[in-house]
Amino acid sequence: MIEKSLLTEVIGLAYGKGLDLAEIYVEEKQSSNILMEDNRIEKIHSGREKGAGIRVVKDYNTAYVYTNDLSRQGLIKAATLARDAIGGRADPQQAVIMGPEQKAPVRADCRFLDWEDRIQLIVEANQAARGVSGLIRQVMIAAADVQKHIQIVNSRGEYIEEQRSRVRLLVNTVAGNKGRIQTGYESIGGVGGWELLEQISLASMALKAAELSVRMLSAPPAPAGKMPVVMSSEAGGTMVHEACGHGLEADLVQKGLSVYKNKLGQKVAADCVSVIDDATLADKYGSYYFDDEGSRGQRTVLIENGILKTYLYDWLSARKDGVASSGNGRRESYQHKPVVRMSNTLIAPGQDDPEEIISSTPHGLLVKKMGGGQVNTTNGDFVFDVQEGYLIQDGRIKHPVRGATLIGNGPWVLSNIDRVGHDLGFSLGVCGKDGQGVPVADAQPTIRIKELTVGGTA
Amino acid sequence: MKEILSQVGEKALDEALQSGAEAEVFLMQAKELEIEVVKGQVETLKQAEEIGLGIRVLKQGRTGFAFSSDLSPVAVKQAVEDAIKISFLAAPDEYQVLPPKAEYPVLNLYDQATVDMSIEEKIEIARSVEHSALSVDRRISIIERAGYADVEYCNLIMNSKGLYAYETGNYCGIYIFLVAEDENDAQNGFSSMSVRKAWDLSPARIGKEAARNAIRALHAKRVGSGHMPVVLDPYVATRFCGIIASMVNAEAVQKGKSLLAGKVGEQVASSCLSIVDQALLPDGIGSYRFDSEGVPAQNKTIIENGVLNTYLHNTYTAGKEGGKSTGNAQRGSFRGLPGVGSSNFSVVPGFMEQEYLLDGIEQGLYVTEVMGMHTANPISGDFSIGAAGLVIENGVLSYPFRGVTIAGNMAEFLMNIDALASDLRFYGGKGAPSLRLKELSIAGD
Repeated sequence: MIEKSLLTEVIGLAYGKGLDLAEIYVEEKQSSNILMEDNRIEKIHSGREKGAGIRVVKDYNTAYVYTNDLSRQGLIKAATLARDAIGGRADPQQAVIMGPEQKAPVRADCRFLDWEDRIQLIVEANQAARGVSGLIRQVMIAAADVQKHIQIVNSRGEYIEEQRSRVRLLVNTVAGNKGRIQTGYESIGGVGGWELLEQISLASMALKAAELSVRMLSAPPAPAGKMPVVMSSEAGGTMVHEACGHGLEADLVQKGLSVYKNKLGQKVAADCVSVIDDATLADKYGSYYFDDEGSRGQRTVLIENGILKTYLYDWLSARKDGVASSGNGRRESYQHKPVVRMSNTLIAPGQDDPEEIISSTPHGLLVKKMGGGQVNTTNGDFVFDVQEGYLIQDGRIKHPVRGATLIGNGPWVLSNIDRVGHDLGFSLGVCGKDGQGVPVADAQPTIRIKELTVGGTA
Repeated sequence: MKEILSQVGEKALDEALQSGAEAEVFLMQAKELEIEVVKGQVETLKQAEEIGLGIRVLKQGRTGFAFSSDLSPVAVKQAVEDAIKISFLAAPDEYQVLPPKAEYPVLNLYDQATVDMSIEEKIEIARSVEHSALSVDRRISIIERAGYADVEYCNLIMNSKGLYAYETGNYCGIYIFLVAEDENDAQNGFSSMSVRKAWDLSPARIGKEAARNAIRALHAKRVGSGHMPVVLDPYVATRFCGIIASMVNAEAVQKGKSLLAGKVGEQVASSCLSIVDQALLPDGIGSYRFDSEGVPAQNKTIIENGVLNTYLHNTYTAGKEGGKSTGNAQRGSFRGLPGVGSSNFSVVPGFMEQEYLLDGIEQGLYVTEVMGMHTANPISGDFSIGAAGLVIENGVLSYPFRGVTIAGNMAEFLMNIDALASDLRFYGGKGAPSLRLKELSIAGD
């Protein structure tokens, strides 16, 4: 990593007269990826990358310069470029007084595996998936881990350091029969190391994905039209993230791009609905100690019993609203400026028994696994793909259905949830706001939406 | 830059050869500029310089890969060692070979005028996009973002068979996302343009188009469910074209992940559909002289009058079928191995003006926006996506609609295309004209 004295010098140079902030973010990253497909270890990658991003802010306008050249000369060039781009004048008098160093605790218990051991796990999982049925046409298993060491120094005299490691495992299966093809998908990931696999083994994930793809082959097409939808906790919180969470990000609210603008203190969801963003959850994929501009990650209650309490903030948007950052300034890498992002976002568990929610539903769709989706934060419209769905009839799960999508409106859905289970299930993903991918986790209990449009082909 | 990259490349190849491995080094250097304006003010100005190398080694058919953003001799040596270590763990594969030395076609991808343009002039372009949008209608209430971006790059590929391919180029683009508001309704509008030469940008056209798209969508109604004819505008047709590109990708095909596997020579689409992939298209955003492993670029027809002609191949996928690479090895950056991807992939336009496509449609949909396109499954071909646009009544465009899903399967979709307009438009490296489909399933109220 880079000497504190050099970073302080660079910040002093970037922090020209009349600027509100100068910041340097340094990142050193080591990553590895293994991919198995077609019954063979197809790709193994290893990479090392380091770089720095310099941000200067003046009157809410930002100049951002990044480089891989971490020499003194390279950093000084980048700092000068950023300062000049925003019209800051060099000011040798404007000294940055450094406060104490703040370092995130380093986890001692991360388990790392050799290449050979990782490959062994993957090979076993591949066999497990292939063993499910002769209809399995393809199995893809990917394992990725990344270790990042970051330093942040800014003109407020803050020095932050954090080491993060993350592991993510994916299984994709393809089953085929009589010209029809269906896919299955399972993933797991978290902050830390391979101890993650103590929760669920890679082989059992592969088994689940393979079984799903085979089951969906014989599923009739999903019905189209409006109906009650029960979303199992297993489906995870993709919907709350997409259809609600983005609209609660202060940068979008401030630009007038959120349905939740001017709604603080108002009722925006059913009484049984509370929404929370929590970066402090142990080991979840979206957890962190410091955010990517040096604020502490925290737990933020966004919607409490249907009432909108606050928005998510990074440093810049908090400054605009005259509040403190909620520790949600995140970035993909040194190549990006931080923006307001969720961490682990969830609908809080309620009182109802998940089984009873299904048995009290005369007719509808049960969603057990969500696929991808897209949301328009301006009006709250969303579309989600259903990976695993079942028809509910007379309170019983009738049979799986394929090719369903959910189409609706986020705020409308939150106001039309009438049952909330006491369970909680997580899903994880990489959120791609502004073209920057950051790891997140989303969670929800089993919930019932009174009525939702299901797009299907039947 | 060519000198510096060549020296690093030679050093990396030497290191690998000393360990008895065949090797390929991919080096990249890029400069990026991004300007975003809000209310005429530069909200974000981003300038970046990036450099890196990716090294692929081959030892007894086993592939290892490592990358590094540090080109110092120590770091390069480390990357080569990592790659060699990894190669021992990979499965041997006889089709993993490096392409031979080659001659490359002449194609100019570098525009000096774009490089010479000052940052102030580029800021003015971004401002002009925003300004044009605002001038269309007072209902344009929010400019979410309007911007200009450009990239200048050098790529160098060298391998132990003596292949040496160097290319430098640049491209730029403008974009705008905005919102129109009127009486409690808010709708988004978007438009963008990417070109090789900054002087070819049309900021006024893009700003106005985004504004008109948003205004046109205001006060949309919902429509009923049913099966009806659908016309896709060039933007939406291009999104579908992207799915077709992944279905003709030989990697997907060989792994049994495409509906079009085993269909070369067969009628897979309506006879009015032809699709080409033109790597040598002058001024194309997806153009190149050689692909990501140094194979010479070429133009080819993928679907000809509905008959599937070929898949897109790199050296590996071509080798597996005993054929030749189509020059479609692609990698996003120095951080990965070459996969397979399209260059300038487009639907060949028809001769009709767009309005004639609507003729004879009593009740149908003209789709200008889709949501959740990435959930369409290239493997099964099933798609069910959100759509918005305008209702077609008695052959003319009528009121706007939103909140419906259109669903179907790509195999049927391809067969269902019954007319194409002449209005081909590229969005980046993919393009299509307006397409008419005989019938699609619509889920609405």
